Amino acid sequence: MAVKPARTVNAIDQTRRMLSLVTYLRERPGARIADVARAFGITEDELVADLDLLPMCGTSFRGGDLLDIDTDGERIWWHNPAALGEEAAEPLRLAADEATALLVAARAVSTLPGLREGDRQALLRATAKVEAAAGEAAGASSRLSVTFESEGGVFADVDRAISERRRLWIRYYSPARDEVTEREIDPIRLVSVGHTYVEAWCRRSEARRTFRLDRVAEIRILDEPSAPPEIELRDLSEALVQPAAEDPEVVIEVGPGGRWVAEYYPHDSADELPDGGLRITLRTPDPASLRRLALRLGRDGRIVSPPELADSARGAAAKALAAYDTAEPAHSGR
Amino acid sequence: MAIAKAERLMNLALCLLGTRRPLSKRELRESIEAYLEAGSDDSFNRMFERDKDDLRELGLVIATVENIEGEVGYLARRDSNRLPPITLDAEEAAALGLAAKVWQQARLAGAASGALQKLRAAGLPEDVDPYGAHGALEPRIPVHEAAFEPLMLACRDRRPVVFEYRKASAARPEPRHVEPWALECWRGHWYLAGFDRDRGAERVFRLSRITGKVRSRGTGFTAPVPDVVTVRETVAGWAGEIADRSALIRLRSGAGYPLRAKATEVRELGNGWDELEIPYGHGLDAWLVEFGPDVVVLEPAELRADVVDRLRAVAKG
Repeated sequence: MAVKPARTVNAIDQTRRMLSLVTYLRERPGARIADVARAFGITEDELVADLDLLPMCGTSFRGGDLLDIDTDGERIWWHNPAALGEEAAEPLRLAADEATALLVAARAVSTLPGLREGDRQALLRATAKVEAAAGEAAGASSRLSVTFESEGGVFADVDRAISERRRLWIRYYSPARDEVTEREIDPIRLVSVGHTYVEAWCRRSEARRTFRLDRVAEIRILDEPSAPPEIELRDLSEALVQPAAEDPEVVIEVGPGGRWVAEYYPHDSADELPDGGLRITLRTPDPASLRRLALRLGRDGRIVSPPELADSARGAAAKALAAYDTAEPAHSGR
Repeated sequence: MAIAKAERLMNLALCLLGTRRPLSKRELRESIEAYLEAGSDDSFNRMFERDKDDLRELGLVIATVENIEGEVGYLARRDSNRLPPITLDAEEAAALGLAAKVWQQARLAGAASGALQKLRAAGLPEDVDPYGAHGALEPRIPVHEAAFEPLMLACRDRRPVVFEYRKASAARPEPRHVEPWALECWRGHWYLAGFDRDRGAERVFRLSRITGKVRSRGTGFTAPVPDVVTVRETVAGWAGEIADRSALIRLRSGAGYPLRAKATEVRELGNGWDELEIPYGHGLDAWLVEFGPDVVVLEPAELRADVVDRLRAVAKG
């Protein structure tokens, strides 16, 4: 379901895995390839590559005791488990990086406000046990921390709607148009990448949309069943907003004070300018939605193209200024 | 064909784990095929040192022992390498399984699965249905910054670093000498807290503003590391989330939902406009300008002037 991050074959990861594999296989004669791959979170091909390598390994200084491990393609057989002494096959302690990676992730997940209480309790118990077993290897894990943001109540409703396969009604704020709209959505999954989002089939636009939970102004679980069409799930890890090639192009020039734009907006290119600024080219299905950005930038940047967008920002600013000529600085009526 | 590195590392690990007495370099070289093929003594020595470092990286504690003849031997003692007994039930195992999947950074993803595999070998129950148990939640920790890995290692090993850093509004990056304390991810961005040697004070850096390579400086820390490192409070201050004052604005009816959500008071004026009292922190002027003609700032005068100033800059184009 989830797309795994692409990983190159790494000798350290593979060695670590093979050390755990021999301990695991020693206890389970005739283990099934599919089961072992699942238990180790690897593909069957990765497991078969390990099984090809293991017969070349052993404590050979004692006189050629290589591990006699083979597979018939379905099950794994180890013909000389005694080649590895009882002791050499014991589970290994956690390395500092392993303890850090697992504990930091577990603490982060346990802070998700929408996590089911039973799951949170299980995770907290597991975290305490792993901390104890890791001993001093757990020490460095305090130097890394992650906080997920999500709106607790909204999260719980979305989570429930997904597990009960129910439709949702939401009032959703769209910053691009500065408007709150009502929609019915069929939720598919929750994704936390910094902010938490629900990916859903939006029945109003009849398309797949992602909604940021902190922009949901109101939410209700409906009685109707959710019926999202079968759609292929994308890997959302890189960017939630994935502009299409045919989307119109927008060019923005920013000074040094506007460089943050490149950090927040996915873009095609960001070229350095002599004054320390950037020329940023990006694509969006709706350039008008960038008027907010143009207004925000002030003297730190300007829209180069399309000209209509630059005009609209100038017009909005002029109109806003007009109000200051007439509005009295202090209000009346308090 | 060259012997795979994983095969060589595995053989070295099994030799060191399987022995009860220290094995000399000579014995190890004679036992492991890849070392026999290593060619010169020099290239063997280099390879052997690297391999020992790699095995230590994955958690093996390798003891170095000198015998009576002064020859150095190596072994991985069982008592220092054994995982202490740990028993997790199916629910706890499933929860850890979910947590182990959240890293998107290759090194930490590898380390988290490595930890889970070690626990699996120690009898951690297996997920029957790794997805069903947790509904539809898919938390992910994004790591896009190249500076992340070297800084993570520097924090772990308490090693000072130097990097080029471009402040939000600076034209050029400047070198910063930092004793790194902790990394924190907040709202999807990574920050480093540490002691800035040039400024002689604690500073928070945003990783995406580090340009070029992070280099280590061998010397140790000069400033004490605080017990509690607070990154989030500093960043929240930058983001204007710590408001010490309040502002009065006029907002067009129906517009500016997020301003309404933050307002401490809303008064309908009945003429198509509402009057709102909102928290006033750093950056509010830039945010208000985004709403264009739908917002008019009434008080304080300083905020009003800032907003007018920004609007003039845009109107001039």
